[in-house]
Amino acid sequence: MRLPQRWVSQLGILTTWLVVALLLGAWFGGVSWWIVGALGIYLAHVLRQVYLLDRVLEGEKRMPSFETRGLWAEMFARVDKIRAKSRSRKKKYHRLLREVWESTGVLRDAGIILNAANEILWFNPAATRLLGLDPSRDIGNRLDNLVRHPDFVRHLAEPKGEDVTIPSPHRPDCWLSITLIPYGQNQRLAIVRDITRQMRLETMRRDFVANASHELRSPLTVISGYLDALAEDDELPESWRRPVSEMQRQAERMTGILEDLIELTRLESAEPAARQDFVDIAALLGQIVDEFRQRAEGKTLELHVETDAALLGKEVEIHSIAYNLIDNAVRFTPPSGRIDVTWRPDGDGAALVVADTGIGIPRDQIARVTERFYRVDPGRSRATGGTGLGLAIVKHALQRHGGSLEIDSREGEGSTFTCRFPAARIARRGGEAGRTASAQAAV
Amino acid sequence: MEVEDLGHHISRRFNEDLERVRNAVLTMGGLVEDQLDRAMRALAEADSELGLKVAENDAKVNRMEVSIDEECSRILATRAPAAGDLRLIIAIIKTITDLERVGDEAEKIGVLAARLAGQERPSTNYRELRNLAQHVKEMLRGALDAFARLDAKAALAVVKADDVVDEEYESIYRQGLTFMIEDPRTISRVMDTMWVARALERIGDHAKNICEYVIFMVHGKDLRYTGLDHIEAEVQEAVRRRESRS
Repeated sequence: MRLPQRWVSQLGILTTWLVVALLLGAWFGGVSWWIVGALGIYLAHVLRQVYLLDRVLEGEKRMPSFETRGLWAEMFARVDKIRAKSRSRKKKYHRLLREVWESTGVLRDAGIILNAANEILWFNPAATRLLGLDPSRDIGNRLDNLVRHPDFVRHLAEPKGEDVTIPSPHRPDCWLSITLIPYGQNQRLAIVRDITRQMRLETMRRDFVANASHELRSPLTVISGYLDALAEDDELPESWRRPVSEMQRQAERMTGILEDLIELTRLESAEPAARQDFVDIAALLGQIVDEFRQRAEGKTLELHVETDAALLGKEVEIHSIAYNLIDNAVRFTPPSGRIDVTWRPDGDGAALVVADTGIGIPRDQIARVTERFYRVDPGRSRATGGTGLGLAIVKHALQRHGGSLEIDSREGEGSTFTCRFPAARIARRGGEAGRTASAQAAV
Repeated sequence: MEVEDLGHHISRRFNEDLERVRNAVLTMGGLVEDQLDRAMRALAEADSELGLKVAENDAKVNRMEVSIDEECSRILATRAPAAGDLRLIIAIIKTITDLERVGDEAEKIGVLAARLAGQERPSTNYRELRNLAQHVKEMLRGALDAFARLDAKAALAVVKADDVVDEEYESIYRQGLTFMIEDPRTISRVMDTMWVARALERIGDHAKNICEYVIFMVHGKDLRYTGLDHIEAEVQEAVRRRESRS
């Protein structure tokens, strides 16, 4: 290992110093005292430099300047350089932080960084505006101490799905959508968006549809009434019979559409989960199948009940689900075809399956079939009738029961619609009966 | 005591226990806030199903009170906390009692809303009740925020706001009497609205109590029943002392 120059020169100085002391000792006598004295002076010098270095490291700005070369001078110079570098780096970081702060400051959405314990590490000004967070005191506090809505607290503990919507704790009549994004080491970024406007539009749309449907029902009833009277009138000219009958059919169709629209609106605006009444689905299916058998025109309609489990839900909505599915199956199956309705166990839950040997659905349209008024082929639908809303109703009603819809179909061969109900919606006979809403509590 | 002080314990488990039970109280608070919100919505929108749902949900609030109470007993028995921590536990035990009562009042409002849903609505659609409810909601939120932040100044502001609530209640009461005298057929309906107003006023009182516990937690002074001026003076003094120290 080669010694750096500054050390070589320092050792040289020490050696020279000792030699001088030796010579002086030899000249004046008492060599050992001269050596001790020389070493003492050297030690004092070293201690002084250490003292100055200590002061400099402690934070003193001024550098000792009486030496321009040598071990100590170089050391001081290096300390000075290190300090200058650290100062400039600090300035750079400050500038970067300020820019980040300013840019997040203009964001309209709120961003909040949380650690694994849900404590707030940082948030931007929008968080104050939307949630009322206080920049001077809320860092370190748990976010769910300040945003306490039960839906949010639940979502924070166990995120189900992308985001959660809650009313704003800070501003009345304001709605927020909160998304949690995990990143880094167990940290999460919470993004909060003001969706009041979207909610209002949704409400407006629903109200409009509901109102329009209701308003259209009365005039339609009047028209249907007169048409019925005309149809029963013996004096109606023959040439008018077919037109009147066609008008009746169309009026009936309009009434059907309006009723479905009203039901759909009701499903959308109700609470997310349906009631938990006991629904004897096997019996319900039996009724519907019997009804359709009478007008099946030669199609085979079979019911298979493979479990005695019942459902916990709202009877009217379960009826809608089954009715609409079976109605579709019958409608889109040719006279020689076959429709199988099955109620069977499905894992912990149960499933209602409606399978037909009908005309099927093209593969690329299966996903869209539950959209409102969506028609696979406008031509064939006009011939077979229907309102275009049946599957949308099925989808919504199923969602409200925590269930899911699966569609399997092959064009020309048939379709299978599977409605899966979760275990929470299943009741075993004789076991847990459905929980009905508790009686009015005493005031 | 500041929020940061809660972190300085020799045993980290103890620290976590305290944080957890504090968080449980605030979760219960959030549930109760939501119950009140939904009960008032049931009233405003004549939604009897929602009103009954609120009543059903009160069981959850009661369960939370029991579980937090048990947790506090456990902490008292196993940790024997002192000073600030002891004040915290005591304040928590009292706060959850008040919160549970707020839950009960919200349940009552829910049931009344269900009853009123089927009846004739006044032309104002209960505007005065809704205003009163808005003030009370703000008081409750302020109280819980002050609890979360251990903010005695904020707690004091809520205590002051109770006067406005009491005045509004008085006016609704007098108005109700007038209606009933003018037209005895409305007695049943007006009585129900007065019960709603009473429940709201009670909730305001409970929110005020919670603020007094917050002040007790933070400054170690029991200021219940001492009157607003005295509370204010004490809090200002304590805040001044704290600010001169830091």
